[in-house]
Amino acid sequence: MKILSPAEKALAFRDFEDIWDNKTSRSILILVPLVMVLLLPVVFLIFFLNVPMTRMNGVEQMLLLLHAQASGMDERQGMFYLMTNMICPMFFLMIPLISSSVSAAYSFVGEKEHGTLETLLLTPLGIRKILKAKVLGCVLLSAVGTCASFVLFSIVIAVGDLMLSMPFYFNWNWLVLVFLLSPAVMIFGVVFMVLTSAKSKSYTESVQTSAYLVLPIVLLFTGQFTGLYQVGAELLLLISCVLLAVDFLIWFLTARLFTPEKLLR
Amino acid sequence: MSEIAIHTQKLGKSYDGAVYALHDLSLEIPTGAVFGFLGPNGAGKTTTIKLLSGLLKPTEGSCTVLGIQPEKKPSELHRVCGIVTETARMYGRLTGMENMMFFGQAQGLERRESRQRAEILLKSLDLWDSRDKKLADDSTGMVQRLSLARAMIAKPKLLLLDEPTNGLDRESVLHVNSMILDLARREGVTVFLCTHQLRDAQELCDSFGIVSRGKMLACGDLESLSREVGLSLQVRFRLREGKIPDELQRLDDESWGRDIADEEEMPKLISGLVSSGNEIFEAKLVRPSLEDIYSRFVELRGNGK
Repeated sequence: MKILSPAEKALAFRDFEDIWDNKTSRSILILVPLVMVLLLPVVFLIFFLNVPMTRMNGVEQMLLLLHAQASGMDERQGMFYLMTNMICPMFFLMIPLISSSVSAAYSFVGEKEHGTLETLLLTPLGIRKILKAKVLGCVLLSAVGTCASFVLFSIVIAVGDLMLSMPFYFNWNWLVLVFLLSPAVMIFGVVFMVLTSAKSKSYTESVQTSAYLVLPIVLLFTGQFTGLYQVGAELLLLISCVLLAVDFLIWFLTARLFTPEKLLR
Repeated sequence: MSEIAIHTQKLGKSYDGAVYALHDLSLEIPTGAVFGFLGPNGAGKTTTIKLLSGLLKPTEGSCTVLGIQPEKKPSELHRVCGIVTETARMYGRLTGMENMMFFGQAQGLERRESRQRAEILLKSLDLWDSRDKKLADDSTGMVQRLSLARAMIAKPKLLLLDEPTNGLDRESVLHVNSMILDLARREGVTVFLCTHQLRDAQELCDSFGIVSRGKMLACGDLESLSREVGLSLQVRFRLREGKIPDELQRLDDESWGRDIADEEEMPKLISGLVSSGNEIFEAKLVRPSLEDIYSRFVELRGNGK
């Protein structure tokens, strides 16, 4: 069974081109991953390699947060491990979230803003197929960006691990994060944008709304520094499952409740 | 008896539950007809098109287009019906040909078939030379004609057109009008045309609906509408000066005339004038134009009749 019909494929492909052709979307889709998985980890790595740990405040308290498997590491290794497992997941998750929500904002609200959504609704595709093609298109675009970011991130961190004589960074946390939480977050970014697209008046307004979505991720990972909890593979697994259920619920609601009249309002 | 292409029964739409954009519209348009839906801006023409195309749900009454209920099966309807609305735009980033190819595929045509249809339509609507130009760089007239081409890409059985000649120069208007007529006459395509350009409507349509403030004021062909408002046929003669003809009134400096009930009266009138020694330079049968009828309707409505 084909996932997309030729008409749906044509729509998804045209969406890719449209999103990529828009300067704001293209800049966000390129810059966010580069900053999150290349620039910030490299800056941290250079910092850890060159600044004496004794000159940093609070290193000891931070190292207390380390997982059991990081015991036996020196301060430099410990700080790099901390960055890789407590800060970088936050940076990494922003990629699927921002790329998917920005793509969806352009795909839905941009299309509405340009008056082409009405023309699409006048084709035999129908609202469900339009939603399906657009959601899958945005998820696919975001997945490509996230996969490329993951490869780049792995290279950067592997280089850091080699330079600091540490084992390869990939663990259970990252496994759940990459293969379950990232897709769940990606789908959430898209379906959330679809849900709010009926209310949004412009693409810019929509992109601004998407900025609020990163807050829970920031709170989840920075909250670990209070020492009250640690984000482990089990918690990530639980969050992934809940988020996938929410994704399904939003998708179900969107597909049932949306009518051309509501979308074009 | 021809089949009914568009049927509406007390169709109405209110956006806020208080004011009706369209109220109590009952219509029957036969297959192959070119129906002109006339009225000023804000009369409810666009709302009607959107209800007939399934973009809006009626708040009262019902409608069927080619036997399909638009609000229930819009996709099925859009397969056989081409629609042009003023707010349905095409992709400015794409060229005319790319737009046509995309919408051809969205209509369910194969890529090759889309290209073939696009070529035919772009040529016939005089858009071939600008086919590789981005739509954003095209003039309003070209964009409008491309919208019409888009609506016709899948050989529709019915066209719902909302002001399709808006923004076009006279030459393009005539071109588009002749294409619509051709489609209706040769291929039996039913056309529902919303317009406030009465001259074009008279050239194109064989029956009319006059709508104002969401309500249908009258519906019928030119003859029945003129009867309804009390406008009749008029004869006009240009005669040699000197004799005063019986039964005719002076209309202006050059002509004489009067209202007649039927065109059958014309030969009798001419022979009467000739036998009474009048010399006829010109004899004309003047039918009330759609503009006359429309103005009369507006006048009557103003008088509350």
